[in-house]
Amino acid sequence: MAQTLTSVSEIERKLAALRLDDERGGARQRTSVMTHIAWVPEEWVEAAEDVLTGLADRHPSRTIVLFPQSGDGGLEGEVDVESFGRGAGRTVCTDTIRITLHGTSAAHPASVVEPLLIPDLPVFLRWRGLPPFGDSAFEELAGTVDRLIVDSTEGPGLPAPYAEFAEVFDRVAVSDIAWARTSRWRSMLASLWPQIASVKKIKVTGTLAQAHLLAGWLRSRLERQIELEHEQAEKLVGVELDGDPAPFPPGDPPRPADLLSDELDTLDRDPVYEGAVRSAVT
Amino acid sequence: MRCVRSRRQRRAPTRDSSSVAVTEEQRQENPLAVGLPLSRRPEPCAMVIFGASGDLTKRKLFPALYSLALRELLPEHFAVVGVARTEESDDAFRERMKAAVQEFGRDEFRDDVWERLAGGIRYVTADFMDTETFFSRAEKVLTALDKERGIPGNRVCYFAVPPDVIESIVEGIGTRPSKGGWTRVIVEKPFGHDLASAIELNDILHKYFDESQIYRIDHYLGKETVQNMLALRFANGIFEPLWNRLIIDHVQITVAESIGIEARAGYYEKAGAIRDIFQNHLLQLVALTAMEPPIDFTSDSVRNEKVKVLKSLSTPGPRDVVRGQYGRGYVEGEEVPGYREEPGVDPNSMTETYVAAKLFVDNWRWAGTPFYVRTGKRLARRETTVAIEFKRAPHPPFEELAAEGLQPNVLLINIQPDEGVSLAIGAKVPGQGLQIRTVHMDFLYGGAFRTDMPEAYERLLLDCMRGDSTLFTREDEVVEQWQLVDAVVAAWQRDRPSFPNYAAGTWGPPTAEDLLQKDGRAWRRH
Repeated sequence: MAQTLTSVSEIERKLAALRLDDERGGARQRTSVMTHIAWVPEEWVEAAEDVLTGLADRHPSRTIVLFPQSGDGGLEGEVDVESFGRGAGRTVCTDTIRITLHGTSAAHPASVVEPLLIPDLPVFLRWRGLPPFGDSAFEELAGTVDRLIVDSTEGPGLPAPYAEFAEVFDRVAVSDIAWARTSRWRSMLASLWPQIASVKKIKVTGTLAQAHLLAGWLRSRLERQIELEHEQAEKLVGVELDGDPAPFPPGDPPRPADLLSDELDTLDRDPVYEGAVRSAVT
Repeated sequence: MRCVRSRRQRRAPTRDSSSVAVTEEQRQENPLAVGLPLSRRPEPCAMVIFGASGDLTKRKLFPALYSLALRELLPEHFAVVGVARTEESDDAFRERMKAAVQEFGRDEFRDDVWERLAGGIRYVTADFMDTETFFSRAEKVLTALDKERGIPGNRVCYFAVPPDVIESIVEGIGTRPSKGGWTRVIVEKPFGHDLASAIELNDILHKYFDESQIYRIDHYLGKETVQNMLALRFANGIFEPLWNRLIIDHVQITVAESIGIEARAGYYEKAGAIRDIFQNHLLQLVALTAMEPPIDFTSDSVRNEKVKVLKSLSTPGPRDVVRGQYGRGYVEGEEVPGYREEPGVDPNSMTETYVAAKLFVDNWRWAGTPFYVRTGKRLARRETTVAIEFKRAPHPPFEELAAEGLQPNVLLINIQPDEGVSLAIGAKVPGQGLQIRTVHMDFLYGGAFRTDMPEAYERLLLDCMRGDSTLFTREDEVVEQWQLVDAVVAAWQRDRPSFPNYAAGTWGPPTAEDLLQKDGRAWRRH
């Protein structure tokens, strides 16, 4: 069991010590790619751990998982350094820092996270659940990171929250895993050009987020109103255009860890996604 | 032949009249000494610390002396005399310093090492204003120590006292020169509070000491990573050809602290960020980054080059300087008070806790290349870095890239924490297509060398005992630094910014962002 640390400076010291404390003598080489912050409210703890497993050896150099909780203040942190063999005696390592934030520190997480970011590397924030727009914790973290990753499937009350998503685009680049999940279908729908240009109504069997994003995408790209009908399903299994079923896209749907990982490859704003979100609300 | 000899002479480190050169000479004369390691031990001397009851003595000086003793780098015959106003016995002082070494030292505590050091520790209670009584008492203690420990009268006098008492101390030492040995004085910052007071302080010192005896300390220069800047630039052939206005877009220097003013309100209220950090540490970092290659590493050669940079710094106009003061905010998840709420601070204080400036080094190498510098208290993290941002690749031939996808190369010199150097380069992301991602080639001190890095004060104390003033600030440097600061402060008298203008735990006032934004640039964020 990792030792519990109660201040940011203790966490920093522990990280430094772990990097040098290697049985083979030499210091460990850290992958030099990014810092990944995950904001995990209690109800998302289990799902978050699932996705983090297997993510480390693909991407982040440092992962900071924040667990906000109620209480007066203070924090408890744990630090793990995981090493990965990279052939011929080479080992690279990644750090995972888990911090439980209470009360004040949960309301002002940027002041906890900022000293722990690896200098000069991009910072990604995975926010579980619908971000509480305007809330200090969210606003602070969004101001600290380079890219915000959400899964709008996790938000209740769609499509209204998309209006609020659109508000943050100018402050931080946003990736949406729900959007990434529609990628295979968008390629397939694009292949239906030019017939699809005249479509008036789309029916989507999948999650509510996917339905709104696909409809928003068609509206913004075709620059006109398109009606949406939604049939609930766990995942995206069918699209009908003016009553005709569209062909099923080839290949297997990507795994959750791959989806997150792909989003971490992207650094720029995605204007097509932003257009889809803006048109999803209307 | 004449030419060769004169060059060798020039390369010999310039030291004051009676220095450790003896060992060098011995080596030259004695054929058996060839190939043996040159002793880095200084000549026997006694160190007198004025203001020995203060924090610096406890936190820095004694831990440094202990670490030097542990590595057998102190003179074989050595003594320390602590001098302060507080009444204390020799034993009580020794006990207090022992505890300090145990608490603040970087090495394991060994009784035998401490006992050896402690044998030469004395304490003298002093009213610095009543020089007569005090100096005759101190003289007695020192003469006895000289005799007891075989010290030929050499003295290192460390002034860890407020500037207003330095004069009487200097008078005291100056009028009673040590018989038979050399005397060197180390002066802590702040060295004056403006140009006039710095010149006055220089004059006081020069009444009794010449420049080679005066060691103005700027502990930043004692840091290994700061010295590594010189190694990086002048021991490598590949960087220097790039080190100019043609290849470098701009330079960013950050000295950020996450702590507040601690218990130093009295000092900080008068000093502010510009006198506390900008005047000394920041300008020294600018000088080291921008200086021309010195012809050798002797103290005067290096400092000559630094002075040239300081002389060529143009005074930034009011629009190129931003000052700030922190208000309430959050640090490490906890609410911290604003500057005006700190104990001892005027509730309407106009003292700045943050300064950012755009500086230009007006010379052939740097004309038109901005140096953006910033320093502040209660910023988001503790960090001292020099970032050299190179110009963008002129024509990236990669189709898939949006313009912002390809970042400019940055050479980042981390002075603290994560000491090291890293170069940001664009690399291809593995897989289909040609996606570019910025990656870092890192050299980390902790990873490359197993040896611990000595504390800045260890290096500086030892250098002073050995008579090497390369890493100390020379008179003309101080004068140049104050000239710039005075000009900036004078412009500040004309307006009254609405303080506080940044929240504790953030990266400073929003106007600091504009400073770069209007040039189409941005501060490094993390």
